[in-house]
Amino acid sequence: MTQPLLEVRNLRTYLQAGARQVKAVDDISFSIPKGETFCLVGESGSGKSVSALSVIRLLPEGVATHPSGEIIFNDQDLLKLADSGIRAVRGSQIAMIFQEPMTSLNPVLSIGEQITEALYAHNPDISDSEAEQRTLKALEQVQIAHASRRFHDYPHQLSGGQRQRVMIAMALACEPQLLIADEPTTALDVTVQAEILRLMRQIQEDTGMSMLFITHDFGVVAQMAQWVGVMQQGQLVESGSCASVLHQPQHAYTQQLLAALPENLTKPKLQAALELERPATPLLSIRDLKVWFPINKGLFRRTVDYVHAVDEVSLDIFPGQIVALVGESGCGKTTLGRAVLQLEPPTSGSIKFRDQELIGLSARTLRPLRQKMQIAFQDPQSSLNPRLLIETTLTEPMKVHGIGDSHEHRIELASQLLESVQLTRDFLWRYAHEFSGGQRQRIGLARALAVNPEFIVCDEITSALDVSVQAEILQLLLSLRQQRQLTLLFITHNIGVVEYLSDQTVVMYQGKIVEQGDTAQVCQQPQHPYTQKLLAAVPRLKTIR
Amino acid sequence: MIKVVLSGESYAARVWRKTRNGVGVEVGLAWIALLVFAAVFAPFLANSMPLLMSKDGIISAPVLHYLSIEDAWVLASFFIALLLYKLKLRAGQRMALFLVSAVIAAVLVNVYVNPPKLVIYDDFRSPAYTQVAWRVMPPIPYAPTDYLRDLVSKGLEAPFETTGHLHLMGTEENGADVLSRMIHACRIALSIGLIASGIALFIGVIVGGLMGYFSGLTDMLGMRLVEIFEDIPTLFLLLTFVAFFGRSLYMMMVIIGITGWSGYARYVRTEFLKLRKQDYVQAAVASGLPLSSILFRHMLPNGIAPLLVALSFGIAGAILSEATLSFLGLGVVDAPSWGQMLDQAVKSSSFNWWMAVFPGGAIFMTVFAYNLIGEAFRDAIDPKLTDDAGIE
Amino acid sequence: MIPTLLGITVLVFTVMAMSPGGISAQTLVGGMDMKPQEKQALLNYYNKRYGLDKPAPLQYLHWLNNVLPIGFVMDEQGHQGAFSFSKGMDLGTSFQYGRPVADILVERIPITLLLNLVTIPVTYLIAIFVGMKSATHRGGRFDVGMGMSMLALWSIPTMLAGVLLLGFFANIQHFQWFPTSGISSREALDMPFLPHWGASGFVRGFLLDRLWHLVLPVLCLSYGGFAALAKLTRTSILENLHSDYARTARAKGLAEHEVLWRHVFRNSLLPLITISAGLLPSLLAGSLIVEHIFSIDGMGQLAVEAVKGRDRELVLSITWVSGFLTLIGYLLADFCYTLADPRVSYD
Repeated sequence: MTQPLLEVRNLRTYLQAGARQVKAVDDISFSIPKGETFCLVGESGSGKSVSALSVIRLLPEGVATHPSGEIIFNDQDLLKLADSGIRAVRGSQIAMIFQEPMTSLNPVLSIGEQITEALYAHNPDISDSEAEQRTLKALEQVQIAHASRRFHDYPHQLSGGQRQRVMIAMALACEPQLLIADEPTTALDVTVQAEILRLMRQIQEDTGMSMLFITHDFGVVAQMAQWVGVMQQGQLVESGSCASVLHQPQHAYTQQLLAALPENLTKPKLQAALELERPATPLLSIRDLKVWFPINKGLFRRTVDYVHAVDEVSLDIFPGQIVALVGESGCGKTTLGRAVLQLEPPTSGSIKFRDQELIGLSARTLRPLRQKMQIAFQDPQSSLNPRLLIETTLTEPMKVHGIGDSHEHRIELASQLLESVQLTRDFLWRYAHEFSGGQRQRIGLARALAVNPEFIVCDEITSALDVSVQAEILQLLLSLRQQRQLTLLFITHNIGVVEYLSDQTVVMYQGKIVEQGDTAQVCQQPQHPYTQKLLAAVPRLKTIR
Repeated sequence: MIKVVLSGESYAARVWRKTRNGVGVEVGLAWIALLVFAAVFAPFLANSMPLLMSKDGIISAPVLHYLSIEDAWVLASFFIALLLYKLKLRAGQRMALFLVSAVIAAVLVNVYVNPPKLVIYDDFRSPAYTQVAWRVMPPIPYAPTDYLRDLVSKGLEAPFETTGHLHLMGTEENGADVLSRMIHACRIALSIGLIASGIALFIGVIVGGLMGYFSGLTDMLGMRLVEIFEDIPTLFLLLTFVAFFGRSLYMMMVIIGITGWSGYARYVRTEFLKLRKQDYVQAAVASGLPLSSILFRHMLPNGIAPLLVALSFGIAGAILSEATLSFLGLGVVDAPSWGQMLDQAVKSSSFNWWMAVFPGGAIFMTVFAYNLIGEAFRDAIDPKLTDDAGIE
Repeated sequence: MIPTLLGITVLVFTVMAMSPGGISAQTLVGGMDMKPQEKQALLNYYNKRYGLDKPAPLQYLHWLNNVLPIGFVMDEQGHQGAFSFSKGMDLGTSFQYGRPVADILVERIPITLLLNLVTIPVTYLIAIFVGMKSATHRGGRFDVGMGMSMLALWSIPTMLAGVLLLGFFANIQHFQWFPTSGISSREALDMPFLPHWGASGFVRGFLLDRLWHLVLPVLCLSYGGFAALAKLTRTSILENLHSDYARTARAKGLAEHEVLWRHVFRNSLLPLITISAGLLPSLLAGSLIVEHIFSIDGMGQLAVEAVKGRDRELVLSITWVSGFLTLIGYLLADFCYTLADPRVSYD
C-alpha cells in the first residue's frame, strides 16, 4: 500500500469566540492517496471548512488552537512547522481555492499580477518573462480564452465562472501536489458548476494531483470523489470509499442526510388524486408580461437602455397546482414572482387573478385581493422585522383584513398557525433574532398563511437552508397544500427540488420562458436545448431506489 | 447548528445593554447627569441670595422669590420628565405627554411667576440680609451676573488669590465668580445642544424622508440642497447668520439647527432606500398593510439607529459651535457661556490659565462624553460586531 | 458643480439681505457722527458706488455680473455697456478696507492655503501610521491606548487646544519655545531662504523661520483630523486584513507583511480618499479659529472681520472662493479615487 499524500491524525481545532470556546473540529482522522480525491461532506457548522483551513493553518492565529493532532505531508508534520516552513508549503505544494471568487481576488490588482505573485513567492529567481509564460500557460490550462489579453484585466471585468477559473489557475501555477477546494462551485450557477467540475477532473487526470474537496452537495461528491468523509458537529461520523458511503451508509446521520435529498424523498400518496381533476379556469393568468428596468446614465439621468428582466411572459396557473419556476441567476424568475404580487411595477402586459385584472389597480382596490395572494422570501435574516414580536408579525395582517373577532381570537389563530408549521406556541412572544434559519422560514410561511390566501409565491425559500431542514420544509409545504387547498408558485434553481415538489415546471432564461409543461415531461424529455443543458449539468447521486 | 439564546430581549433593550458596556460610557453618562443636575438646579447651587433665612422670626426663601420664568419652567419640566420616566408607558406616548405638559407648564409659569425686574446683588451682602438669626446659603455664594462691585473686585484673578472671599475657580474679567458662571452655563450648553440638534434632526428627517420617498426630481433637488449646505464651511455660514441676525440665545439655537441638518438628511435618505428593499417591508406591502403602518412600524424603528448615533455626535457639535461663536466674540452677550469665558484666557497678554482650563475642560468633558456614547452606540448597532463573530 | 456654487452664493446673499437692516447704506452710515447733509451725501455715494439702493435680487444679479468673466461691461457710473466674453472678474471693493477685494484676497489666500496644504499631509501621515500600528497589533497596549486618546483628542475643541498651546508653549510665563503670533518674524523678509551660519552666529533662513512659526498652528489644525482618520484607517485595515482576498494571499504562501503592504494597504486607502473630500471644508473652518488665536492674517481671520463688519462684497467673495476651493477638493478626491480603484471609471 503506497503511502498516502496527506494523512490527518486526531486533529482538533478549537476556536475562541469572545468568552466561549467552540470545538470546531473534534478528533478527526483521514488520509488522501496520491492522485485521488477525498470529499468532506456535511451541513453548515459541521466543521468541514475549518478542517480544510487547518491543514495549511490558515485560521487566524489568536482565534484558533490545535490542542492535539498531526498532519503528515511529505514526511513533515504541518502542525509543528515554523511559520517560514508552512509558508513554503502553502501555494507551492498545497494550494487552496475558496467559495466566493469575487471577494477572494484582490479587486485592485490585475489577474496576471496575482498569478505571477504566487510564482515569485516560491521561485524568487524566476525571470519576468518566464513568470509571464507560466502564467499564460496556467490560464490556458483553465480554458480562459484570449489569455494574453485577459492577463491585464481586473477581477470585476470577468464573470463568476471565469473568476473561479482564474483562482484555479493561481492555485496551479506552482504545480502543487494537493489542491484543497472549499465549496468552489456553491456560489456558481449549475451549468457553470458542471464546467468547472469537469475542468477540475481533467486537470487531476493531467497532473496527477490529489484533491481535498469540501462540499455539502452529495451529487457533487458522487461526481468528484473516490473517498468520502461525513462530518457532523466537528466529528467524522463515517468515512470510506464513495460507492460504499453513498449507497450503503452505515451511520444513522449519513442515512438521514441521504434520505433528506429531494431525489430520495417520498411523496405523500394523496398527490395522485389531486392531479386527476384539473379545473378549466386558471387561478392566475399572465399574458405578455414585461418588466423592464431603465438604465439611467449621465448628468440628467437619462434613460439610455432597459434591462429586460421579464420579457413577454405568458403563463397559466391552475388552482391546487404547485408550479416550479426554474432558472439560473439573472433569468428573471424572482422579478416575475414579485411582479405577480405587484411588488415590482410591471411595464406592460396583463395579470389576472380569477379574471380580475391586477395591473393598474389602486392600492385600496388591490387590498382585498392581496389577502388572496402572499409571498414567502429566501433570506431568513431579513424576512422578519427585527423590532416586532412574532405575535405582532402574525396578527397585524389578520387585523387589516378583518380576520378574527378580537385580539385574543387572533392570538389564538396565530398560535394555531405556529403549530401548523411545527413550532410551539410560546414562540409568539419572542423576537426574530432568537430563531435559527429554518425556524425563521417556518415563521415566514406562517405569516403568509395568516390571512388565508389561495396563492403563495415561494421565492427560493429553501435555498439558504441545509438539506435536512430543506427536506422538512418541503414536506411541510406539501401537507399544507393538502390541508388548505393552496396553489404555489415555487421559485428555485434546484432541479432536485423541482422534481420532488412540483406538478408543472416552467423554465426561464434571460427573461423569457423557454419551456413549460408537466414536471415529469420536462425533466425526463426536455425539448429546448437550454433545458437539456440545464438538466444535464445537475450532479446526480445515481441512487437506485 | 447554532445554539440559539432564547432571551426574550427586545432589540432596543439589547442595543442599550451593549452601549452601556462600551468603554467609558458610564463615565460619560455620569458627567451628563451631573450637567443636567447643575442646569436644572443652578439657581439653588450658585446664587448670591440665601436659600432660607430667618429674620425676626419670619422664615423666608429669597431664592424662590427671585426665581425667573426660565428657572421655574426648567424645574417644572424636569420633575414632569422624572414622573413620566417612572410610569410605564410606551415611548411615543411618553413623548407626546411630555410635550403637552411642557407647553402647559410654560403657559402657567408665564402667568404666575413674576420675579422682580431688577436685582441688585450687593443688597444681599448688606445688613438687611446678613444680620439674621440664621441663613442657609447656596454652596457657591455668588450669582453668575453678580459682578461684586461692592467688594471692589479686580477681575481676572486666579483661584484662591482674591483676599477676603473665596473663589474656587477664580474670577473673570468683569469680576464675577467663574464657578458660578460655569454652573449656570451648563443650562445654555445643554439646551443649545438639544434644541439646535433637535431642529437640525427635524429638518433633516423631513427633507431626507421626502427625498427617499419620492425619488426622481425631488431627490435630485434635495441632493443639490444638501450639497450646498455641506459645501459651505459651516462655521462661516454660522458667522454670517449670527452677525446679521443678532445674538439672542434663541436665535443662535435656531441658526445652529438650520445649518446642521444636511448630515441627518443624508442618513435618512440612505436608510429609507435600504429599508424599502428589505424583505419584511415587502412582506408588509404584500399583506396590504396601510402606508402609515409600513412607515412607522416597519421602517422607522429599524432606520432610526444610525440617526441616533448621528444625533449624539450632533449634540456635541452643536455645543462646540456655540462655544466657538462665543469665543470669536459673536456669542450671547450677558448670559454665561463656556466659550465666552475661554475667550478671556488669552487677554491682557498674560495667560489666565484658569479661564482656559475650567471652561475649556468643561467643554471638552461634555463633547468627550457625547462622543463616547455615540461611539459605543454605533458599535452596539453594528450587525457585524456580534458576540459569536460568525465562526462557521 | 456650477449650480452648487451658485446656490452657495445665493444662500449667503439671502442671509445678508434678510437680516434686520439688510444690506443698505443705512447700516453703514447710521452709526456715524455727522451732520445730516454729510450723512445724506455719504449715503448717496454708497448707493451709487455699490448699488445699495436697488432691491436685493437686482443687487445679486449686479454682483454676479461683475464677478463672472463673461457678462456685461459696466462703467464707473454703473451704466450697462456691451456684452463681452472676456471682461475679466471684478470682485468689487471692500467697504471696510476701501481696497479692491481681489487685492485683499490675493494677499490672504496663499497664507491660508499654505497652512492647510501643510496640514493635510501631516494629518494623513500620522493617521496612517497610528491606524496601521493599531490594526496590526489589535488589542495590544498601543491599540487600546491610542483608541481612547484619539477619541479624547478629537473631543478637544480647537480653541481650547490653541489657547493651551499658546499659553504654555509660547509664553514668557511658561515655555517660550515658539513664537506667539504671525506666520513669519519681522526680520524674516530680509533673511535668505536657507539657514546658514553668518557673521553673527546661526541665522534662521526664511524657510526655517516659516516652519518654526507654523509648528503650533499646524499642530492645532491637524490633531482633530488625524484623530478621526486614525480610527478610520484602523477600521479599514482591520476589515481588509480579515477579508477573503487577504486569505487567498496567505494561502499562496505570502508572509504577513507582504500581505499587508501589497494587498491590504492599497484597498484600505480607498475610504481615506473618499473622506479627504470632506476634509477641506472642515479645515477651512478650523483655520478661522486657528488664525484668530495665533493672529495669522489669512483668509479665516479676514472672514471673521468681514462678517463682523457686514462687508457685503468681501463676504460674498470669500463665500464663493471657499466654496470653489471645496468643490475643487471634491473633484480632486474623486479623481484620485478613480486612479486608485480600477472598478470605478470617471463618467
